[in-house]
Amino acid sequence: MIRDPLHTPLALALTLLALAVWWNADFFGHELLAEVAIFAIFAMSLDLMVGYAGMVSLGHAAFLAVGAYATAAMTVFLGWPASLAMLVAVVLSAGAAALVGLFAVRLSGVFFIMITLAIGQMFYAYFFKSRPFGGDNGMSGITRPDLGILGLDANDPVVFSAMMLLAALGVYLLLRVIVRSPFGHTLIAIHQNENRLRALGCPVQRYKLAVYVIAGTLGGLAGSLTAQHTGFISPDLAFWTVSGEVLIMVIVGGMGSLLGAASGAALVILMRHELSDENTWQLLGLPGVMSHYWQFVMGIFFVLVVLFAADGLYGRLTGLLMAARARLTPNRQREDGNVSR
Amino acid sequence: MNILDPTFFAIQFLNGLQLAALLFLLSIGLSVVFGLMNFVNLAHGTLYMLGAYLGLTAVNLFDSYWAALLLAPLGIALLGAVFYALLLKRLQKESPMKQVLVTFGLIFVGFDTVRMVWGALPQTIPAPDVFAGSVTVFGEIYPAYRLFIIGLGILVLLLLYFGLEKTRLGAVVRAGVDDPVMVSALGINVDLAFFAVFCLGCFLAGLAGVAAAPVFSLFPGMEMSVLILTLIVVVVGGPGSLWGAALGSLLIGMADTFGQVLFPEFASVTIYALMAVILLLRPHGLIPARVVR
Repeated sequence: MIRDPLHTPLALALTLLALAVWWNADFFGHELLAEVAIFAIFAMSLDLMVGYAGMVSLGHAAFLAVGAYATAAMTVFLGWPASLAMLVAVVLSAGAAALVGLFAVRLSGVFFIMITLAIGQMFYAYFFKSRPFGGDNGMSGITRPDLGILGLDANDPVVFSAMMLLAALGVYLLLRVIVRSPFGHTLIAIHQNENRLRALGCPVQRYKLAVYVIAGTLGGLAGSLTAQHTGFISPDLAFWTVSGEVLIMVIVGGMGSLLGAASGAALVILMRHELSDENTWQLLGLPGVMSHYWQFVMGIFFVLVVLFAADGLYGRLTGLLMAARARLTPNRQREDGNVSR
Repeated sequence: MNILDPTFFAIQFLNGLQLAALLFLLSIGLSVVFGLMNFVNLAHGTLYMLGAYLGLTAVNLFDSYWAALLLAPLGIALLGAVFYALLLKRLQKESPMKQVLVTFGLIFVGFDTVRMVWGALPQTIPAPDVFAGSVTVFGEIYPAYRLFIIGLGILVLLLLYFGLEKTRLGAVVRAGVDDPVMVSALGINVDLAFFAVFCLGCFLAGLAGVAAAPVFSLFPGMEMSVLILTLIVVVVGGPGSLWGAALGSLLIGMADTFGQVLFPEFASVTIYALMAVILLLRPHGLIPARVVR
């Protein structure tokens, strides 16, 4: 594998960018930043499965909902502190992912898409009908962790968005370690040629199950954080369009790149936010009523991205840089090529 | 409410049959496209919704339900043809993920198009005069229009059966499902047959939309629940199989109707669980379209 020269500089640049935005943000800016950070975690967790192991799931939102509902149940019903609830929610998500994964990883290709969709919708249907969890009304009154020891208040948007950014950074570093480990390389190998790996005696199913559990666990973490962020949850968190949207985030940013997935999440959330704002349209000289139809624009954007830019922002950027470098130093590039072969 | 009460049972059975007939009209198009072309069209529910709304416009223009029942599906078939030419040809060679996501994007486009053109408020198409009344079934009053939907479903099933078994196009389609490469090698234009089948599937989705409109109200978002039910029918019955789609529709129609009445808490969950179990045990469905090798 060719080492990715862009990775570390881009990671640093993105971190600095996030810090700069955090420093300059107003109240709503912090709310938006927290949302971006949470969905960056969610998208990165899906990217591990889709981009690295090649398992395309259309039911990842199920774990977002499990994490969120578990957090809500424990803070609202049992009165547990949010930090403990978050821990238990993550463990429960891991359990749910293990249970679902046991069945789902037996299938591949379009059948894997279908079964994850069915199971995801099963979670949606359950939460939608369940009376203890408030049915289609959802639940509210979810608390945030008590940071009194540090002299901070998590209900302050400035503090909370910083917490979410730290969480996203932590998840990124964790996934980076996973991806670069022998385990991660095996995932990429399974993606490239599953039969060969099987012939080599690799327990492919077990690897797939492990990825499914890791992705589900981190998805549950994102769910717990989103419950703490909004203080309110509803079955819509588990709806399959949420799974579709996060898949689009991963594609927009670039599959198989954690930074790509994170930036894809940021891009999609910011687009959604801007397109549903009247001022954006008026600024472009268009009628503000267009903001009611932002989904139309997003839909067309989704189609165009999948059709014409499926290697995502990150892939495009790397490609451009590689091409530029090849033009500047033609001889070295040829040597590199020989080495990598 | 007792399941053993024969009147109650009969009424629920008819309701289940009516839902099954609608699901059949919807799923057969999706199923054949899935089985024949290996293409998953998530926008199939959107075609259903657009069919219903085109029907609404046709009713307003011509003041005739029957004009709507014919014209709206034709409009949807035309839309399908455009969709085929612009996107499907290109997507057919792509991975299932790309197919799923492109058609996922189209769902949003269709959703907002309906909101722009027809507004977000729920609307309805009145049943045609002939079927506007009720009939007495087993001593209970039952809307005649629902019986019409059941009849329409059975009629389409029979027509498709004879079309598949007795016509040349049907023979090409059956052979194409079994082995498309061999059929093209014999000098038959499989792509043209697939195009015809795709347009027919769109026509039937539009037909389902108009047929369902007097029973369910029209609103942007009506396509979402229908799409998932249709996908379940296709997977349960077996992609590409006529009798599979019929059996799947019957199973899901009945399970949903009786489940909602008898165990409202679990009904929706069990349908998804059923789909998951069938996917695991028989990924090619209950009645596979081709011999599973």
